Amino acid sequence: MDIFLQQLINGLTIGSLYALVALGYTMVYGVMKLINFAHGDLVAFSAYVGLTIFSQLFGASAVSFVNVIIIFLLTAIIVAFVGVLLERLAYRPLRTAPRLSAVVSALGAALVIQNGIMLIWGPNMQIFPADLLPSTTWNISGVIISFTQVCILALSAILMIALYFFINRTKIGTAIRATAIDQDAAKLMGINVNRIIMIIFVVGSMLGAIGGLFIGLYYRSLTFDMGWVYGLNAFIAAIIGGIGSIPGAMIGGLLLGLFNALIAGYISTEWAETFTFVLLIIILIVRPTGILGEKTAEKV
Amino acid sequence: MKLTRLASALALSAAVCTSVFAADTVKIGVQAPITGKYANEGQGIDNFVRLIVDEKNKEGGLLGKKIEVVTCDDEAKAQKAAVCAKKLVNEGVFAVIGSYTSGATEAAQTTYYRNKVLQTSDGTSDSLIKRKYWTFFRNSFPNSAQGEFTADYFVNQKKYQRIAILSDYSSYSDGLANSVVDSIEKLGGNIAFRGKIKSGTQNFTAILTKVKALNPDVIYYSGYYTDGGLLRVQQEQLGIKADFVGGDSNDNPDFLKLAGKSAEGVYLVNVPTPDILPYEAAKKYLTAYEERFNMKPPSIWAVVNADGLRAVMEGVEKTKSFDTKKISDYIRNDMKDFPGITGPFNIREDGERVGASLMVYQIQNDGSYKVSFNK
Repeated sequence: MDIFLQQLINGLTIGSLYALVALGYTMVYGVMKLINFAHGDLVAFSAYVGLTIFSQLFGASAVSFVNVIIIFLLTAIIVAFVGVLLERLAYRPLRTAPRLSAVVSALGAALVIQNGIMLIWGPNMQIFPADLLPSTTWNISGVIISFTQVCILALSAILMIALYFFINRTKIGTAIRATAIDQDAAKLMGINVNRIIMIIFVVGSMLGAIGGLFIGLYYRSLTFDMGWVYGLNAFIAAIIGGIGSIPGAMIGGLLLGLFNALIAGYISTEWAETFTFVLLIIILIVRPTGILGEKTAEKV
Repeated sequence: MKLTRLASALALSAAVCTSVFAADTVKIGVQAPITGKYANEGQGIDNFVRLIVDEKNKEGGLLGKKIEVVTCDDEAKAQKAAVCAKKLVNEGVFAVIGSYTSGATEAAQTTYYRNKVLQTSDGTSDSLIKRKYWTFFRNSFPNSAQGEFTADYFVNQKKYQRIAILSDYSSYSDGLANSVVDSIEKLGGNIAFRGKIKSGTQNFTAILTKVKALNPDVIYYSGYYTDGGLLRVQQEQLGIKADFVGGDSNDNPDFLKLAGKSAEGVYLVNVPTPDILPYEAAKKYLTAYEERFNMKPPSIWAVVNADGLRAVMEGVEKTKSFDTKKISDYIRNDMKDFPGITGPFNIREDGERVGASLMVYQIQNDGSYKVSFNK
């Protein structure tokens, strides 16, 4: 039993990370109907930014709670800025162009960010310091939970709930939902669509940045091409949950993490990835809009 | 008629030109992962080759010819390795040092063999010499030797009752783990678990939780340090109280950085580290390396590759020719106890290096190594 619970904890941890990254995908898709393939690499970029801020600002001094908060805030701000820049340079000029052009531009942006990371930080693996977060672990009748895991689970839960309320209960959230339904009508109602899209990129990039930093803190090793793995998994999570739906991205991420852990733990680690794709195919056949995706009738 | 004469005149002059160029320089190739996951190791190999070549050039070169080094980055990927092999052959190299990983080495082997280019690699996968190419010889020890040594250590020295074996999917790592498993079974040991991880996925908690349920005495990992360090950290986080033993490719300073405090107590199986090589040539070259690059070689692998290069040069000088067949014959049959940086260098008929010694180190709390078993 404790082994099963342990696998659940493992799965939920990685699942929360997928969910944080998937939110960025889903929000951009919801509003712009664009799959932002560069999002995964932005997540990798944020881990590198976090590491650099740490080594530049606090490399010598002792790590404290305040330092960690500063690292998170600075990273989120820098990555949000890059996210907005990405939208300006790669997506806005193509907003009225055919959908395929924007997808190609997204893939190009992903390559630019990935190679940019390689040029700035080099192709070698970079290593996150071990003592940024306390290495405390708790043993609850055989199930081990580490401080980092608790942080990941708690903070991503808080962020997701906050995002949910932001979208559903605030004025900006209403504007975002209106823009997602119909950009032209939103414009007629006096909504500044460009500003809404900027907000989407700021929020999505910040969530991705926190996800990326947690990936760095949890796994410690950074490679310039790591964004691809997380980007792909988060993309699958977004599709499973129903791309465009915010609760869907959260549920999709958690489900995918759990599914991966349980397959790896009980069937075969070698085949875990294959099963992920089998799950994706089944979802696409049975419920093409994903678990929480809404079926929209195309008006002719 | 006139046209053919013109063509033949052109061809003749071209031939004269190339032979004039060929007279002063000779090319040696380096095929190594200069970028990518194992960039650290690949750059070490390239550095060491350049160090030795520059020294040789200062002494007047090989048989009076200046040596030129041509490096090709294979990123430790088989596909890139095949492209590198073609590129280096087209460049006209007579010998190639590398690559670092067995997979990339194997992918390039046939091209070198068909073009009669010598190749020497630190790849330890047993499959590297199964084709018996005369162009290939190994400058490190094979997996099977390490497998037998590790099994003996586990079963006879440590008397482990339940052994968990992990590898990644690379031909090197999988091959090494399999030869450890075979040797343990021959000695009557008990393999409790044999599994594989996907290199680079970072999250190994699922498989480790599975291992935890079997309550093993030891977890042995035969892959590379990039994953080994993380496995060790996650093992401790999950509270698995087994020893951790890493195969030779875990022996890298980055293993310590990745594992942090968890590195303490880890055992590593490898040939002697560069620091404690007791040989005459080792002192000379390792000091020269440190002076020039302001760091130590990344690991023993750069050093064995340097030995491979030195053996090739020895072959050229002793046979007084660049005929690769003659050099290969000399290295295999006539070279006895060539004083390598990593000890006496002897190559068997099939291209296998013989007589390499192995050790087990334990990592201390300050990150230093202590020899814990030595045969």
